[in-house]
Amino acid sequence: MDERAMDRAKQPVSPVLTGRYGHPLHPALVTVPIGAWVASLVFDVASRIVAEPGFLSRGSSWLIAIGVLGALAAATVGSLDLFAIPGGTSAFRTAVWHMSLNLTITLAYALNFWWRLSAGADPGNSPVQIGQLVLSVVSLATLGVSGYLGGKLAYRYGVRVADEATQAEGYLNRDQSTPPTDAASDWTAN
Amino acid sequence: MDVAALIIWIVTALGGFYLLGTWIAKGGPRRDSPAPSRLPAPVVFGHFLLAVGGLVLWIIYVVVDVHALAWASLGVLVVVATLGIVMFYRWVPGFRAPAAQGSAAPAEAHFPVAVVAAHGLVAVATLVLVILAAAEVGSS
Repeated sequence: MDERAMDRAKQPVSPVLTGRYGHPLHPALVTVPIGAWVASLVFDVASRIVAEPGFLSRGSSWLIAIGVLGALAAATVGSLDLFAIPGGTSAFRTAVWHMSLNLTITLAYALNFWWRLSAGADPGNSPVQIGQLVLSVVSLATLGVSGYLGGKLAYRYGVRVADEATQAEGYLNRDQSTPPTDAASDWTAN
Repeated sequence: MDVAALIIWIVTALGGFYLLGTWIAKGGPRRDSPAPSRLPAPVVFGHFLLAVGGLVLWIIYVVVDVHALAWASLGVLVVVATLGIVMFYRWVPGFRAPAAQGSAAPAEAHFPVAVVAAHGLVAVATLVLVILAAAEVGSS
């Protein structure tokens, strides 16, 4: 293991854009597309159950569009975190898979949105078509796989996670956490 | 014209993505590098962020067809282009004398010349197409 390579993947390439050390922005931004697309699928299913489904169909399209925009924002920040990972490593390959799947999913949702926009002959009060619903299910399932890879990057490979010395600061007792002043050194000596 | 501009903008973005990846991987943002980059990090990241923002505005414009968004996108693109030109002029000296730098070459010396040239050319094409589309030249 190359400790320096691992440490590089923990550092923000731009604290302003990607969040400062130990506070990556990408995991916070991904909640927007995940939440919007999950809610969109709930609307899709509900639109095929309720009596007047128009508002759910329209709402679902809005949620897909919000998810696409959120995904682009998350991708902007996430790609900078990707560039921090040294090439030729398992972490880098995992990150490239994570990115490729997410871009495919975002494109699929963009096309799904386009399909709904152009197929909306009776946008007033029709349920979401079964084909559009299936595309959403497949996209969301793929997002689960991609999310698993994202989790692997953070929790297994520690990309953008603070190093263990920094983590240990969270487990000091109150009296240990004071900086080692002269008085504290005297106390240790006793 | 709108969609043509969108496609050429995405092609430009792919080139920029490659250059940005190379710049970061070769230590461009690091201040403690033995050969610090001549490209200021705020300019690089500002160019990247605004280019993405302008592209997203253009995508929304293509979908919803609200013309004010086309002008807003063009405004952002002009700033993006300005930052790009600044980076180009700061990149040229390193490109002219790469042999003397050896292993301590700054990050931008690793840019393939073809990619920089292609990125610049399609960027100009993007700007022209966006101006024409925003001004509604050639549309009925």
